[in-house]
Amino acid sequence: MAIDYASLGFKAGVEIHQQLDTRKLFCNCPSIVHDVEPDIHLHRKLRLVSGESGQIDEAALFEKAKEKEFLYDACSTSCCLVEIDEEPVKLPNDEALRTALQTALLFHANVVDEIQFMRKTVLDGSNVSGFQRTALIALDGYLDTSKGRVSIPTICLEEESAKKIETTKEYTKYRLDRLGIPLIEVATGPDLKDAEHAREAAEKIGLILRSTGKVKRGIGTIRQDVNLSIQGGNRVEIKGFQDLRSIPKVIDCEIERQLRELKAGKKVEKEVRKAEPDFTSSYLRPMPGAARMYPETDVPTIPITKEMLSSIEVPELIEDQAKELEALGIDSKLAINLVKEGKSEMLKNLAGKLKNLKASFIVDTFNSLPGAAKKDFGIEEAHVKEEHLLQVLTLANEDKIPKNQMARALAALVNGTFKESDYAGVSDTELEKAVKEILEKAPGLNPGAYMGLIMKHFGGKVDGKKAMEALKKAM
Amino acid sequence: MANPGDLVKVVTSDKEFSGTLMPTKSDTTLFLKLENGYNLGIDKKKVKEVKTIKTTAPVRKESHSVKPRKGLKNIVILYTGGTIASKVDYTTGGVVAQSGADELLQFVPELKDIANVTTDRVCNVMSEDMSFAEYAQIIQGIQKHLDKDGIIIGHGTDTLTYTAAALAFALENLHLPILVIGSQRSSDRASSDAAMHLICASQFIAKTDFKGVAICMHHSSNDDVCAILPATKSRKMHTSRRDAFKAINSEPLALVDEKGTVKWISAHAAPEGKLWVREKFSPKAALLKMTPNFDTEMLEFATKRYDGIIVEATGLGNMPTNTPGNQDKYLMLEQYIKKGGIVGIASQCLNGRVHGTSYTNLRRLLNIGCVFCEDMLPETAYIKLAWLLGNFKKEDAQSLLAKNLRGEITDRSPYQEELME
Repeated sequence: MAIDYASLGFKAGVEIHQQLDTRKLFCNCPSIVHDVEPDIHLHRKLRLVSGESGQIDEAALFEKAKEKEFLYDACSTSCCLVEIDEEPVKLPNDEALRTALQTALLFHANVVDEIQFMRKTVLDGSNVSGFQRTALIALDGYLDTSKGRVSIPTICLEEESAKKIETTKEYTKYRLDRLGIPLIEVATGPDLKDAEHAREAAEKIGLILRSTGKVKRGIGTIRQDVNLSIQGGNRVEIKGFQDLRSIPKVIDCEIERQLRELKAGKKVEKEVRKAEPDFTSSYLRPMPGAARMYPETDVPTIPITKEMLSSIEVPELIEDQAKELEALGIDSKLAINLVKEGKSEMLKNLAGKLKNLKASFIVDTFNSLPGAAKKDFGIEEAHVKEEHLLQVLTLANEDKIPKNQMARALAALVNGTFKESDYAGVSDTELEKAVKEILEKAPGLNPGAYMGLIMKHFGGKVDGKKAMEALKKAM
Repeated sequence: MANPGDLVKVVTSDKEFSGTLMPTKSDTTLFLKLENGYNLGIDKKKVKEVKTIKTTAPVRKESHSVKPRKGLKNIVILYTGGTIASKVDYTTGGVVAQSGADELLQFVPELKDIANVTTDRVCNVMSEDMSFAEYAQIIQGIQKHLDKDGIIIGHGTDTLTYTAAALAFALENLHLPILVIGSQRSSDRASSDAAMHLICASQFIAKTDFKGVAICMHHSSNDDVCAILPATKSRKMHTSRRDAFKAINSEPLALVDEKGTVKWISAHAAPEGKLWVREKFSPKAALLKMTPNFDTEMLEFATKRYDGIIVEATGLGNMPTNTPGNQDKYLMLEQYIKKGGIVGIASQCLNGRVHGTSYTNLRRLLNIGCVFCEDMLPETAYIKLAWLLGNFKKEDAQSLLAKNLRGEITDRSPYQEELME
């Protein structure tokens, strides 16, 4: 059944949380998540406190109602007193702050005049302090998509929470390595037209964030939340998507759930839900409100001066970098992957230097030549270094080795047995002379048979195309 | 004019923002709490107009007054200021002492099942600003509540141990428990240690017959047990950890948890006799730390201005008084003591005992009348000297300085396997 999003009054936005590859946001610990045995074990409790307006947040109350003890495991190599709430935080990491400003510029957003870190009350134990530090960096940006412009009302910089590793009735256990890693949050307005549009926006935002070159990569380093509502329903936030592809399916399932509830005369509650692997979602907690935020008093506010902003370089977007590669004749999907892998600069350089080779041939050589050299010449792919490949490509570019001999040359380079003379091409006069002799020796054969004889004579040293031309000419 | 707390619309040269106007110390930036909870800083130069949409009446807090219950002990919490009762302050942007003790009760409702708890404010300063005037106010506050079963004093952590020692000296033969507590994480945060200290101190009073002054703070970084520490032999040993307070040259008296389980570690003798309050502290006492290249003029100033000096000496009790260049300091001390000045010697090693005879240089100090204060902490020695000078004749003050009065000096140095825990 196709869903008519517009007639349902579908409103949706996405929130992207991306970890940065810098030191932690409020201390000098490295932001590494590892699996070594923890050497720090702590247990703590949290109590409910009221926000600066004197009100108590509903979401905070819900968490408090659980009255649990929190166990924390940590490694002293990636955790200091700051993460375990035993020392006041340091000033925010400059690299992370600059990356957040860079992100703001990439989304054409207005950076705030003065940044104030806030404490967002979180009582589920995932932050040892009982709050997550978060700051509004910029307002009113936008993103262009295939279905029109999507607003980016807010861009925030915050600290990552701890990772939950065990839950029992009595306690919840967390690992603290992840706690404090800088996280950029980019949120779209409720402008998304349909479920597929949400996926596209999420993907594009991820790609733009990657353009900063400062983001972490790998599972769990980027997370997507979806906010959605339909006419007569209520705003629901869905967290915990397995991957981008699941976004449209989970959204459609949620719309169907809300429609079922409404049909049964029930009220759709404003709440936070968790995306399940079967694309349905389940209740997680009530929606947090403004009362859970109060200023982080350990960190002074940070005025953003014009000088500071003008010193922020705006990096080239991955999409734009990919377009340059496409112009060199590389397939668009491949181009984006190459940019993501950080290979676009090298490739552009090579294409400029190796004028006789096509860019796609260069990419192909990188991707498949080591495998071919392994198959035919028994070398270990792991032994192939980038410089070996560059040498082979340069030799081919200068016509010093025939293209069909590149795997053999690569193997020889890896084994240290390479001699240029082994690949010395056959001169045109030599070739013509040999063809003539072969024709004279065995007259009346078909061209295929002659080609076999010619190639055998030169032991593969001659280019097949050239040999064919010489044969035609002589015949 | 819009006031902080009002719902406003801020019109700038290029935009409009709606939110709650926040108080700020900044002259150049206006802070607005947006609907999503974030505080937004707006350059005042860009602001064209601030329109009040709705003025807000202050939020009324629920009253938590509870009727006293029979069978429960009566405890008063004396509030002095400091982190245990502090809150965000918008005029400075930092955390300051400003909430009353009533707020502590709202924060820790568990207390009502442990004891009948009342509160009283005796002063309101952060502990770094404490002076002997506040000690007098605290002692007055205690005297008002001597009919209670126990007193808990909420105090800033920085000089908490000075106050605890001061109270121990001032109140002889105390017939009730006084527990001094602090907080290393302010009570405006969910991870605050304040509540646990309050609960454990109340439990300790409720479940034991302890009499005297002690400190109740986190025993480790975990939220499991508090240590009951000796008032005159404890020290803040970390700037920020919850378990910063340690017994030095001593042990905790006991451990206590939130459920009221008490584990005694060292025996304490219940005082006999009548309560005797000697509440004066002389401003004529000083604490002077010895360093390499110590300046003679500092010593000269101290000897001119004070009736007694505690020297935080190096090692076993040494002072830079032995080379020809330091001879003037030695002679200065000799003259000072001859004219009635008191020089008490404690060690900046903190751990261990000073010794007057094991080296020639130490004997030279002993010979001119320096008082070696055994295993007493320098800070405790300072408070003790100020108290002695305030309440006794100078000769008595000198002879009492190195005599144990409130557990500040022990006669044995027991071996501990781990020097630092």
